[in-house]
Amino acid sequence: MGSDPLFANGLNLAVWLILLGKVLVIFLIVLLSVLFMVMYERKAVAYLGVRYGPNRAGPKGWLQSLADGTKLLFKEAFTPRNADKAVYKAAPYLMLVPIMVAFSIVPIGGRITIAHHTTELQLADPQWGILFLLMTSGLAVYGVILAGWASGSKYPLLGSVRASAQMVSYEAVLGLTTATVVLVTGSLSTSTIVAAQSGHWSFVHWNLIHTAVIPFILFSIAITAEMTRAPFDLVEAEEELSGGYNLEYSSIDFAWFYLAEYAALVTNSAIIVTLWFGGPNGPTIDGHSVGPLWFTVKVLVVLYIFVWIRATLPRFRYDQLMDLGWKRLIPASLIMLMVVAGFQATSTSGGNGAGHWLAQREWGLAAVGGAFVLGALLWRAIDVGRQASEVEEARESRLSLERES
Amino acid sequence: MVQYLPILLLIVLVALFAGGSAAGSRALGPKRPTAAKQGPYESGIAPRFGPAARFPVRFYLVAMIFIIFDIEVIFLYPWAVMYHQLSTFGLAEMAAFAVVVFIAFAYLVSNGALDWGPRQRRGGRAPVQLARSTTSSVRRVPRPVELVNGVAPRPLDSPPGARPAPAEAPNPYDQPVKSA
Repeated sequence: MGSDPLFANGLNLAVWLILLGKVLVIFLIVLLSVLFMVMYERKAVAYLGVRYGPNRAGPKGWLQSLADGTKLLFKEAFTPRNADKAVYKAAPYLMLVPIMVAFSIVPIGGRITIAHHTTELQLADPQWGILFLLMTSGLAVYGVILAGWASGSKYPLLGSVRASAQMVSYEAVLGLTTATVVLVTGSLSTSTIVAAQSGHWSFVHWNLIHTAVIPFILFSIAITAEMTRAPFDLVEAEEELSGGYNLEYSSIDFAWFYLAEYAALVTNSAIIVTLWFGGPNGPTIDGHSVGPLWFTVKVLVVLYIFVWIRATLPRFRYDQLMDLGWKRLIPASLIMLMVVAGFQATSTSGGNGAGHWLAQREWGLAAVGGAFVLGALLWRAIDVGRQASEVEEARESRLSLERES
Repeated sequence: MVQYLPILLLIVLVALFAGGSAAGSRALGPKRPTAAKQGPYESGIAPRFGPAARFPVRFYLVAMIFIIFDIEVIFLYPWAVMYHQLSTFGLAEMAAFAVVVFIAFAYLVSNGALDWGPRQRRGGRAPVQLARSTTSSVRRVPRPVELVNGVAPRPLDSPPGARPAPAEAPNPYDQPVKSA
């Protein structure tokens, strides 16, 4: 694993052409899926709110996002007076490029043979696939921070400081829950992770089941917050910050932020499918494996759930957001990692398969016990912390009253 | 190394696309800068101060605590890849590490290091006055001790005899103007 058979015989003209074709196709998939997703979301949210949504541009309004993009191309791109010029111009690209590139490690399904050259339906399959993913999501934070800071305006700066704290907090959860998948699979390569989830009765082998669902729930919450989507879209906060970090951007620079946001949504849905839902695995039709079809179906379902959540849930308050991230999700993901590790550990009491299956999983049961102890410790710590804050607050308040009198 | 080539090509393609579109936008879009357009946007108000240079220390605190967990994640990945070979030894090693980190984390939480947002203020002084005056029309909600017979005291300019005015320092602007 971790190597594309395309490069087995070195680089020649045909390999180069196939390579360029693959790059172009992946690029177009991301770009077109963004155009589709913007409309998909607007339509779905509209119908969930018993409205029609955009229905004028193109057939049933499906060209609306293309029209919006074209309009933005013709708008004036100005630079604010207070802006740090170079950083201000660079920030949208800093956000766009990593997110568009992240899709390259997603396996779309199977292998194809073009002109005697077999290649995987996946742009690149490096051994560090998951690390690449975490890197791109980490780099996206820079785009947000620098865009807000370089604008030289108050709202964007506030928005970007919020965003950085939020993304940084949930990135830890993301890393810990992804580590659970890596632990179960024993590999960082995305194609290996998908291959490990295949088998008869496919969905039983999904990592969703293998890791006992909870890490998946934590991962989905974390990735929603990482993308700053509803209900964690405090970064946009149109009521109080009128748009957040991208407020001072116009024209094509604004379009890049929009594009990056939706490209991240599509890519992260694809990654959810890859990590937890077996990627392109699924039943064969007439003996042909139809990986790309299953992959598309699963991604569309995940995308719809994201839209559904946005249409349903109200926005979090900032302290609730940080409390959820730090005091609930991070400890829970760390504990779940250790519990899954315990159940994955091979039994010391002879691997002969005798006895109840739970009896062979004493390390897992020990981890569950430890989890309860640590959970109780944290529960108490949260309580003590709240009391400490209140005592400090009362002291400050008394001091201020004494100062006044 | 050739495995990295597709990613490099995709980066180049995205950069070309983005750069090309930016150049196209520069050619197609108008350029009519005005002072108002280039000023910082503050909902239509002309800003008098620049953006804040200082931020609540909690943001820095979160960044520092994040580093702890990020480093833990860095240690976790190689361990997770090798876990099935390490088995119980790996479990014990990582359990020792995770428990230490977890206890340190619980200590942070018990210190209130991760408490956010407006705490329940118990008796702090609000910046506005209890009674309405000529300098401000904003009144704050009275504290429990300030209630008169269980209800909020009436403002100073309310009809006399309705309820007693609060015992607060008289506002000089509320005194009747002496005619010369």
